Formats: sequence, C-alpha cells, structure tokens
Amino acid sequence: MVKLKINIVSIYSVAKKEFEDNIRNKWITTLITIFVILTIATSYFAGSREADSSSLGEMEDTITVLLSISVILIPLIAIMLGYATISGECESGSLYVVLAYPIRRREVLLGKFIGLGAVIVFSTIIGFGTGGIIIAVLAGTSEWTSYVVFIGLTILLGLLYLSVSIFFSTLTSKRSTSLGLGVLIFFWSMIFGIILMAVYLGGGGSYDELLTGETTFPNWMWWAILLSPMDMNQVAVLRAFGIEEVFGFSMEFPSFMTLSLLVTVQLIWIIVPLILAYYVFERRDI
Amino acid sequence: MSSNSSPVIETRNLSKRFKELRAVYRLNMKVNKGEIFGFLGPNGAGKTTTLKMIMGLMYPSEGEVFINGEKVGADSVHVRKNLSYLPERVSFYDHLTPLQTLHFFCELKGADKSVAKPLLKEVGLADRMHDEVGTFSKGMVQLLGVAQSMIGNPPIYIFDEPMGGLDARWVKVIREKIRALNDQGATILFSSHILSEVQGLCDKVAIINKGKLVAEDTLANLSKHLHLKPRLEITITGLNGKVPSSLSNIEGIDAVDAKGDKLIVTCDAKARLQVIIKLAQEGMDIQEFKTIDPSLEDVFMKVTSSEEEGGF
Repeated sequence: MVKLKINIVSIYSVAKKEFEDNIRNKWITTLITIFVILTIATSYFAGSREADSSSLGEMEDTITVLLSISVILIPLIAIMLGYATISGECESGSLYVVLAYPIRRREVLLGKFIGLGAVIVFSTIIGFGTGGIIIAVLAGTSEWTSYVVFIGLTILLGLLYLSVSIFFSTLTSKRSTSLGLGVLIFFWSMIFGIILMAVYLGGGGSYDELLTGETTFPNWMWWAILLSPMDMNQVAVLRAFGIEEVFGFSMEFPSFMTLSLLVTVQLIWIIVPLILAYYVFERRDI
Repeated sequence: MSSNSSPVIETRNLSKRFKELRAVYRLNMKVNKGEIFGFLGPNGAGKTTTLKMIMGLMYPSEGEVFINGEKVGADSVHVRKNLSYLPERVSFYDHLTPLQTLHFFCELKGADKSVAKPLLKEVGLADRMHDEVGTFSKGMVQLLGVAQSMIGNPPIYIFDEPMGGLDARWVKVIREKIRALNDQGATILFSSHILSEVQGLCDKVAIINKGKLVAEDTLANLSKHLHLKPRLEITITGLNGKVPSSLSNIEGIDAVDAKGDKLIVTCDAKARLQVIIKLAQEGMDIQEFKTIDPSLEDVFMKVTSSEEEGGF
C-alpha cells in the first residue's frame, strides 16, 4: 500500500480560492440564476395547485418537472466549473505559480474538487431550497424527507459530472481542446440513450409496444443505464419517490434497480475519475 | 564573488526531449549563493523548459536538479519552501482581488497574511488592492507576480522573462526590484532573450542555444575569452557612410563600419590612436570619438554563431 502524504491546510486553501473565484464567474452565476428562477416558478405553480386540490400525488408532478430541469442544468454547471480547471490554468499560466509553492499536485486536485463541489452544493441548495420553501408554504410539508433525498441525489449528480470533467481537464493543456471534451461529457447520456434504443430496436424490440405498455425494457437495458449518469439520476429520483409514471410513460423498475445500487454506482463514478485524474496529473509535465 | 562557494542551484546533465525535439541537452549549470545569474538565449532555446525542470513542473528525460544540494522532484515540497518562481506570462485568478490572491499564496507558503498589504504597497499596487485582477494591465499583473514571489522572503528567486513584453517603465521597476532583493542577500536566476535588459544587472551569465549551454561565466571573462575588443566610435562631419580607404593599412583592425556620420572601428587598443591620427591627417572633420566596451549582444552573437558552425 502506497502512503500518500497530504496537507489538509493546502487543500482547504485551494478549495476556498476555487469557491471564491468561481462563485463570481458570470457564466456560473447566470446558470445558477436560471436554475433558481425555473425552480421557483415550477414549485410556485405546482404548490398553489396543490393547495386547492389537496391531492398528495401532485408533489410527484412537481418532482418530475424539477427533475427535468435539474438533470440538464446541474451537469451543465458542473461541467462549466470543471472542464478547464487544470487545462485552463495551464494555458493562462496560473498553475505554474501555484505548483511552484510547497504544495503537492494531489492537494491541488482535491482542493479543486472540494471547492468546485461546494459551488454545486451551494447552487443546488439555493435553487431547490427556495423551491422547497415555496411548496411548503403553499401546500404544506408532507413529503419533505423525499424532497431532501431529491436534493441529495441532485448534488450527487453534480459531483459526478464535476469529477469526470476534472479528470478530462487534466488530459490537455489547452482550454479549446477541453471544451470539446466538455461537450462530449454533456451529451454522453443523450447519445447513450439513442445508441441503447437503436440496439434495442435493431434487436427486434418494438417501440409501439413500449408506448402502449404491452412490453417493458429488457433487463440488459436497465443494467446499461449504469453507464449513463443522467439516466441513473432520473431513475434514482423516481425510485426515491416511488413514482412509476412519467409524462404518460409507465416505468416499472426491475427489483434489482434499487436506490442503494444507483447511489453506490454513482459514488464509483465520482471516485474512479478522481483517481485517474490523480495518476495523470502527478505524472505529466506542466 | 567567491567561486568555491557551494551552488544553491545546480543542474547535472539535465536533458529534456519532447518526441522528436531535443529541448534541453546535457545542461550543467551552477548558480552560487548571492549571485544575480542571467540565463540567456534566443526564443525557443530551452530556457523555460530548463527553469520548469528546476521548479519540478516538468520532469527531466535525463539528469538531475539540485537545490541546496538536494535533488528536486515533483513532491519536493520542503525544497520549494526556499524557492519562489515567477513564470513567463504570469496570470492569476480574474475574479479575486490582489489582496485575496496574495492571501491565498501566503496560506500555501505558510506565511503570515499580514505581509500581503505591505507587499502590494511595495510593488505599487496598494490603491488597486480591492479591484479584481481581471481588470489589471499586463504590467500590473507582472508586479503582482513579483509581489507573490516575495512572500516569506525566500533565499532563491527564479524569474522567467521577468521583463518580457513590458514597457520601459515597468522594466526599470522590475530591474530595481531584482537588485534590491539581491542586496538583501537573495540569489536570483532569471532568463531573458533581450540582452539590454540584462546588461549591467547580472554577476554571471549562462547562454543557451538549441538546448545546449554554450557559455557560462562573468560578462568580463566571456569578453576576454572570446577576444572581444572594445569598439571605437568616431563622429565625422561629411562621412556619408563611406569607409575611408586609408584605414586598410593599419595593423590590428578587425572591422570597420560606417553609418551616416559615424565610423565604428573594432581594433586593438594600440591601433586606436593611429586610426585617429590617420583620419586627422586626411583632413577629416572629427567631431567626437569614444570607446564602447563589448556588449552582451556581442558576446551573444559570437557564441551563438560559433555554435551554429559547430565550433564551441
């Protein structure tokens, strides 16, 4: 077992610097603002509807709408934060100054993950926190534990995309190259869904039967979802709320698709890219 | 400068290869305590690569770097406590203020944050202390770079092209800063490709060309070894860029060049008087004459051109 020396103070310094620098980045603040406005709008309309219909099921509708916002915006914020965090600093030259100090490269990497992760935690809590308060005020707080789980799963999704994009940012020394990789990371889940569907249909599957509910997705397709972060997040949220119908589609989850499995796989998705980033970053020329 | 003092920075057979390109090749260089050491070479000669290897930012393909006798690697955290570095085209974080920036670096160096304000004052950035660095001019960013390098008063400074691309006013400020740091006992290694910046500032220079060290000595010794002679510059009214033919039979003249009213003669000290007498005898209207010592430029031209011929 290799012992890795690490200085907590240095990690904290980098984390704090990353948070302070990025929370003032206008792209990030714009995305967070859009996120907050959409959440508030959704929860306001859903909450006020709930107040007079007194139907508990309405909370599920709110979550499915919020989910369709978060599953796009949170990865986008995470990728914006991470895609050029190493390569961009290489290109601008600030990384040379930092690494000339008595700090280890792994400390810089970990500090960046924690600091940028804090931006994601901050924006998610501000976004969904305000939405949650509005729902609670207008419609009562019947399902707040599930709502907290929802926020937790969204943070997990953000950290996953952050970890992957930090890893990709260690691979190049140019911001422009990293941008291409960032776009690839963002569209991965969407491309993946199309590929999966193509394989399914190509193998004799029927789209019509899926729509009418005559048949369900085969098991291998459920397992394949573990390769797609956005899908994992959506299934995890729906499972957490026990929702089995989304925008008219019925979703019958196989028994092995448990919340704990999905969370564990997502944690692996966070840890593995960080380890890879460590190996690449420690060994490369800056 | 005692030559037997132990080197604070030493490279041994330091080499770096990027695929086909041999960026640095078997570089042996010693920087002694208290020196201002000029590391010179044309663009692309391997200066930045060498300095990055010294800092542990790049890994050598072969050879080693020693700081105070200790071998440098990427994990040499304690070695870098005594070292500070100003990279070429330095940059910081756009959305942080210079004060926040210096606080961050104080934390990394384990230095007291109270030094940040005096340092900003020292480099003349005190009135912009609370503005975002993204709004700064190139010169101001460079000064912030100098300020961060001074955190914790390290004994060794490594500056990569500290005056590169700056206008004359900033160049003067940075030169003075380097001299002041040296007066306080610091050792400074800095690179440059503009020789006028270096002239009169360095105790010692090393010249690198195409990755190879082609000269390392004091400027005076280099001039002597390279047989560089002082030049005689004579201003003659009505010369019109013509070289007087009468000078051709004087012994000890290496070169004669005429530009407008100025006649530049490179020759032995003994021949100088003869040149003046000859010109006066011919009835030339001599306004002024002076001798110019060999410049770093001359040394540079000589060593880099002889390298090209494969001589050195």
